[in-house]
Amino acid sequence: MTNYITSYCHILSDECWVNGKKIALQDSDDDITKQLYNYLEMDYPKFFKMDRLSKTAFLGAELIKNNNLALLNYKDDEVGLLFSNPISSAETDLNFLKSYQNGGMPSPALFVYTLPNILLGEIAIRNKWYGESVFTVSENFDAAYFLSYCNMLLNKCQEAVLCGWIKNNETFLFLVEKEDVNQLNLQLSLEQLNKIYLKKIK
Amino acid sequence: MDNIKLQLKQQIIEQLNLESVSVSDIADDMPLFGEGLGLDSIDALELIVLMEGNYNIKLLNPEEGKSVFQSINTMADYIAKHKK
Repeated sequence: MTNYITSYCHILSDECWVNGKKIALQDSDDDITKQLYNYLEMDYPKFFKMDRLSKTAFLGAELIKNNNLALLNYKDDEVGLLFSNPISSAETDLNFLKSYQNGGMPSPALFVYTLPNILLGEIAIRNKWYGESVFTVSENFDAAYFLSYCNMLLNKCQEAVLCGWIKNNETFLFLVEKEDVNQLNLQLSLEQLNKIYLKKIK
Repeated sequence: MDNIKLQLKQQIIEQLNLESVSVSDIADDMPLFGEGLGLDSIDALELIVLMEGNYNIKLLNPEEGKSVFQSINTMADYIAKHKK
């Protein structure tokens, strides 16, 4: 069966691209996550409580959803989430450690994010996507892993799979569906996946 | 007392990362949870940390927390009575 990449986005340290087109953000000294939050005109206070890992994944999902409104037509359990990164939640783990070193109080809000798969929960709650969800740790972006796992999910139980490589200053999300709904003509393959991943990641 | 209330609002906004909320958005009698400020269970834990870290007040009884964290007014009253 042929599956298709129907949307993809790159979130870098100071710019964002969706389907190869640069998002026009206003000039600002704000962090890219805050800039994108404003660009998307979101009203979701919980966003500000998330760690950076969750924020970038969450924003990527929003950007892709905005380009694939048909996603909203799938049943709750028909959209899967397949994410990966190289350092798990290490950055937040260290921040949590700092919160109680030297006699400080451990921060419950930081503790919540000391697991990387929490970002899957943030996306699932926001969108009511309750299909299969997987988070793995991998040293580098592994196109072969995404390809085989994604095809397996689509062949067995999902109509769409949102995939993400979530790394600070190098976030890449892509949506895979059974039909080429956006007519990007991007058949899911190892070659295609590596090509669009590398398009904006130096 | 007004100083404590203002300070509390600033501390809550900072500690709970309420970036879209300003001091003037939080009325003294506004419920902190549910339909008021919309805080959740993790925020409740952060409020406990805030009370201990900033006012040296330990809240050990969860039932007590429910009444203390009703609003800025109830928090300020409790701090005024128990601050060490």
